[in-house]
Amino acid sequence: MTPLDRRQALASLLALGGAAAWPMGARAQTAPFDLTELMQLLAKVRAGEAVFTEKRSVAMLERTLESSGRLSFEAPDTFVRETLKPRQERLAVVGNMVTMSSGQRSRTVPLDSVPEAAVIVEAIRGTLTGNRDAIERHFSASVTGNAVRWTLELVPRMPRLRELVTSVRVSGQQAVVNEVVVAMADGDRSVMSITPRG
Amino acid sequence: MTAPTRLGVLARRHAFVLWLLLVIAAAGTALRTNYVADLSAFLPRAPSAEQAVLLDQLRSGIAARLVLVGIEGGTPEQRSAASLQYAKTLRASGAFDAVHNGDNSAFEATGKFLFDHRYLLSPAVDAQRFSVDGLRAGILDATSLLGTPAGGVIKPVILRDPTGETIRMAEAMLPSQAPKSEGGVWISRSAPRAVLIATTHADGADLDAQERALNLLRTGFAPFETQGLRLIVSGSGSFAVASRAQIKSEVERLAIAGGVAIVALLLLAFGGSLRTLLTALLPVATGVLAGIAAVSLVHGNVHGITLGFGTTLIGEAVDYAIYYLIQARSLPGATPGAGAQRWIVASWPTVRLGLWTSVCGFAALLFSGFPGLAQLGLFSIAGLSAAALTTRWVFTRLAPDGAPGMGLRRHLGHAVGWCTAVLPRIKVPLAALTLLAVFVLAWLPSPWRGDLSSLSPVGAARMKLDAELRADLGATDAGTLIAVSAPDEAGALMQAELVGARLDPLVAAGALAGYESPARVLPSPALQAQRQKALPDAATLAARLAEATVDGPLPAPRLGGFITDVQAARTQPLLTRGSLKGTPLYGALDALLVPGNGDRPWRALLSLQAGAQAVDPAKLRAALADVPNARVVSIKPELDALYARYLHDATWQALLGALAVCALLALHLRSARRLWRIALPVASAVLIVLAAFSVAGVALGILHLVGLLLTVAIGSNYALFFDQIRDQQEHQPAGAPLTIDNDTLASLALANLTAVISFCLLAVSSIPALFAIGQVVAPGIALSLLLSAAFIRVRQSATPEGAV
Repeated sequence: MTPLDRRQALASLLALGGAAAWPMGARAQTAPFDLTELMQLLAKVRAGEAVFTEKRSVAMLERTLESSGRLSFEAPDTFVRETLKPRQERLAVVGNMVTMSSGQRSRTVPLDSVPEAAVIVEAIRGTLTGNRDAIERHFSASVTGNAVRWTLELVPRMPRLRELVTSVRVSGQQAVVNEVVVAMADGDRSVMSITPRG
Repeated sequence: MTAPTRLGVLARRHAFVLWLLLVIAAAGTALRTNYVADLSAFLPRAPSAEQAVLLDQLRSGIAARLVLVGIEGGTPEQRSAASLQYAKTLRASGAFDAVHNGDNSAFEATGKFLFDHRYLLSPAVDAQRFSVDGLRAGILDATSLLGTPAGGVIKPVILRDPTGETIRMAEAMLPSQAPKSEGGVWISRSAPRAVLIATTHADGADLDAQERALNLLRTGFAPFETQGLRLIVSGSGSFAVASRAQIKSEVERLAIAGGVAIVALLLLAFGGSLRTLLTALLPVATGVLAGIAAVSLVHGNVHGITLGFGTTLIGEAVDYAIYYLIQARSLPGATPGAGAQRWIVASWPTVRLGLWTSVCGFAALLFSGFPGLAQLGLFSIAGLSAAALTTRWVFTRLAPDGAPGMGLRRHLGHAVGWCTAVLPRIKVPLAALTLLAVFVLAWLPSPWRGDLSSLSPVGAARMKLDAELRADLGATDAGTLIAVSAPDEAGALMQAELVGARLDPLVAAGALAGYESPARVLPSPALQAQRQKALPDAATLAARLAEATVDGPLPAPRLGGFITDVQAARTQPLLTRGSLKGTPLYGALDALLVPGNGDRPWRALLSLQAGAQAVDPAKLRAALADVPNARVVSIKPELDALYARYLHDATWQALLGALAVCALLALHLRSARRLWRIALPVASAVLIVLAAFSVAGVALGILHLVGLLLTVAIGSNYALFFDQIRDQQEHQPAGAPLTIDNDTLASLALANLTAVISFCLLAVSSIPALFAIGQVVAPGIALSLLLSAAFIRVRQSATPEGAV
């Protein structure tokens, strides 16, 4: 077991323990769990930091692309993804402005002018900050599971984006997001595992 | 007989023939005149080279060629479908250099061109990029996009472009203020509409071509209108075309309304005599023809606004006719024809003096920095002189005893008689009002704060729509430009690169959101050659690539296409402005690179986009201190400064004009007392009008100043008449019959009424230039007459009705 996996397991245990200890969590287990409740649950966490590893399988490449780095978010609308390996890269979103930096270069553009980038940002940022409006504006969402272990399936509303991205599947435990799986229309796929820090 | 007297005799004998010849000549000139209606005549003539560039850009630069388009109504799907189809129609029309609607499939040709020249154009290409480390880093950067929705661009070409130069070029060229994209097209962030931006092929200053392009936009949209969609068009070209149409229709409307009003007034004043009516209109017609001819001969064209303003001249020129026709009426028992002689002796000197004062006032405009205002000045001087001379030399022949008809003038005479009796009694309150005006003016902040935009006839609603569309499209007016110049294309591009290198740190530090540079579209030949030199030969590249791809995502054996492409690029001819012709990139370059000719150098323009805070020109100048020829032009402050300078100059010119009027009166009257008597009512009228505008919070500009000048020019005529009457009365022996009668005063009132009416017509005009003048002059001259009557007391004749 790598140190990272151990931390993840620990976090899951803590989350489970927390849920069991709270009466509300216990009730959530039995009652039907929907988007509203999930978003309320997620919105309770105003800010957070996490580390991620991402594995992408691309049909034309023989090997899987791997990257890792840090994620952070702060309600209402700040989200930063900092890739540390294999190359340093930073994507910072504040409101509708996204800044992409790599080495000495840095570019800021409105997020909504690049829908192909916005679709992933909105899915992750919207989930982390528990922004139900943002999620529903961009995706048709369905929730399965319960508060202890849930999965949020997001399908882009815009037909043009569905030609690129089939679905974004976010899963987590309580207010913690563990994994984001993006299925591309051309069969490519990326799996991002997330571990909260601090 | 001396020469001047001989000339005088000649003029007297042949005045009518001479007049007829001049009128025919003027009419001929007027017929062949080129009438223009674009507003550039009301942009100041640029004093410096930078401002010349700026105004040139405003008139015919890229900003003047942009058309902003919105599609509203229907469903979002309908709008985006319409946007895609409509843009195709517009591109196919050939009237537009570029049509952008966010549809990237339209850029296939651009994409291919960029891809084929990527090793000359990509900002990332240098020797380091083709080292083992550089190749490895480039490959990691490019592959980091694979498997994400944003990887679509690079995926099909990654084996030929493994370092992702395509992406680097796209990044460099994408605007930092891109519109929102949805359904494959640009849409508004604030309203339900799809947005497009087009660049007309036609020059911004070529209004006929602009109008054709706009018509094409409308007819091209017709199929979508049937689906319930609406087209909105904005941009400086559409403004200019709309303004021109507005000025044209407005001038016609003003001329007709003014003509009808004056004719009605004359009929009321002289009864239904057609002969009198036609006679009274003679000086007006002569004046207008002379004005047009003079302006046309001096300026080469006549502006629509000059013509619109000319209609007010009708109001003043008809005064001469009214004065003459009433004042030259034969007295009971006088021999026929004596009226003209009497008028020439008694009244002509006053009219002549009035003419001189008007000419003095308008002469100030001749030196104005606005060609439009210089036209107004010349038009007025020529027109008034012609009207006055026609009255003096032609009327005295045509109507030696004035006009007989009385019409409803008797009632006017009563009213005026009553006024001249009553007004002097409220002299003190009126004087107090003047004093109050002085205090108000001293106390309130200066109302002289109009700006250039106040000259534009474009309404607030259209301006708001324009601002909305610009915000939607990220085409907000570039607040700041940096201009560099060089003797040739290569030099200008190099200068642009130099400036870009100074701006990059500012962008990195967040002091600037970004900038557009022609060198981004077309790097200088030197830079292209430098990139070409950095490309390694096939063997070297293959060896480095083998090393760089160890453990990497892309295996070297699959990158044969990359090595071939790099080899081809090593001997590729360098790109120039000429080789971009026919590609969609040409439009983007053309906007920022202004070719030179024998007289002026090549010029590269870099437009800056402000970030969160405004661009600080001082910081920019400091950053560019070591770039020779780099000029930082902040458009709004620069234009404001330009306008403020003209306003300042015009104020001095107006004051000098007023001073010249006073000097002229002093010279003629040789009496300080009489000068004071004439100046007081006119100055009071000006002060009261100014104070009223200050209190109302109206921002006054250059045209209000022109209005005040006109008030002085016309108002002093009334004061002169009252002064003349008073002076005659003072010099008459006690008990002698008074020559003043209510009918003479009625002629003043009638003249005033016609002038006030014609300026009131201007005051309801929707063209700001005319509106501002009318707004000032109408109350100004009405006050001038009232105050003249109040301050210059004249005794009443014993018979109030006057002799008929």
